[in-house]
Amino acid sequence: MDDAEAIKRCQQGDREAFRHLVERYQRRAVAQAMVILFNRDDAEDAVQEAFIDAFKAIGTFDTSRTFYQWFYVLLRNRCYKLTGRRRPTESLDEASLLAAQPGMADETRLVLEKALHSLTREEREIVSLKYFSGLSYDELAAHLQIPRGTVMSRLFYARQRLQSKLSEV
Amino acid sequence: MKELTCEDVLMSQMAAADGEEPEFSKQQLSTHIASCANCQHELHQFQALDQLLTGHTLSEPRVNLWPAIENGIAKRTDWQPFALIGLLLVIYKLLEMLPARDPGMAFKLVPLIIVVLLFVFIRENPFRINTELLLER
Repeated sequence: MDDAEAIKRCQQGDREAFRHLVERYQRRAVAQAMVILFNRDDAEDAVQEAFIDAFKAIGTFDTSRTFYQWFYVLLRNRCYKLTGRRRPTESLDEASLLAAQPGMADETRLVLEKALHSLTREEREIVSLKYFSGLSYDELAAHLQIPRGTVMSRLFYARQRLQSKLSEV
Repeated sequence: MKELTCEDVLMSQMAAADGEEPEFSKQQLSTHIASCANCQHELHQFQALDQLLTGHTLSEPRVNLWPAIENGIAKRTDWQPFALIGLLLVIYKLLEMLPARDPGMAFKLVPLIIVVLLFVFIRENPFRINTELLLER
């Protein structure tokens, strides 16, 4: 079943079709929520709430966007709501953000995670969407609902900050 | 022609390296970079960062959130008929309290209604799901 078909069936109240969407996107969603929250439990809470929001609001689904782009807005809103009453940030070992890569030293990954951890949520988010999710500037603008020019400048400052944090680590 | 700042040049050059359309022409950018040690240094740093970040992916943990989500969907919809019945009963009780021809009680209810409306529409409607992006703090 493709997303369009699943969404159509969800709009008629079919929970099984929604299950299909949850199972397709839950892992990516938890990984991206972790980027903002840096806490696995909070990330799972945010993803659960965002999927429940999505089911309730599926009637207003904007067909000009993909399901995940639309869902990401709900997820992001949930993450930002949670940051006000969040648990203390986990240690880096517990909150593993990046996947281990063959042929790449674990130490490099940990240094990068540590530097990412010291960025603001917005900076971490845009760097992650650009590099780890491979989004183009237009896709970043659609995901974050900001103009393309703002994508360029936000990415520029985030990279500068990351560079400076890496040199401190 | 607009005088290019280092920031303009770096942003455009980074966009070009990302495979995006830069804001300024290649010639404008290379003229500035050739004569600007700061930009050369920054671009060198950027290339190193780019290399470090490229090839990494997010760790996608194995999760099965469906049981909790299904439960949450049921919880959020189950209470609605009871809430509606409760609301109707409260309205009925309030109307019953109104004396037949005395408008005094009605005037007393007006501030209460205004407060309820303000809470629901101005502060935050707890029943509304926001599909627009929240303003960043």
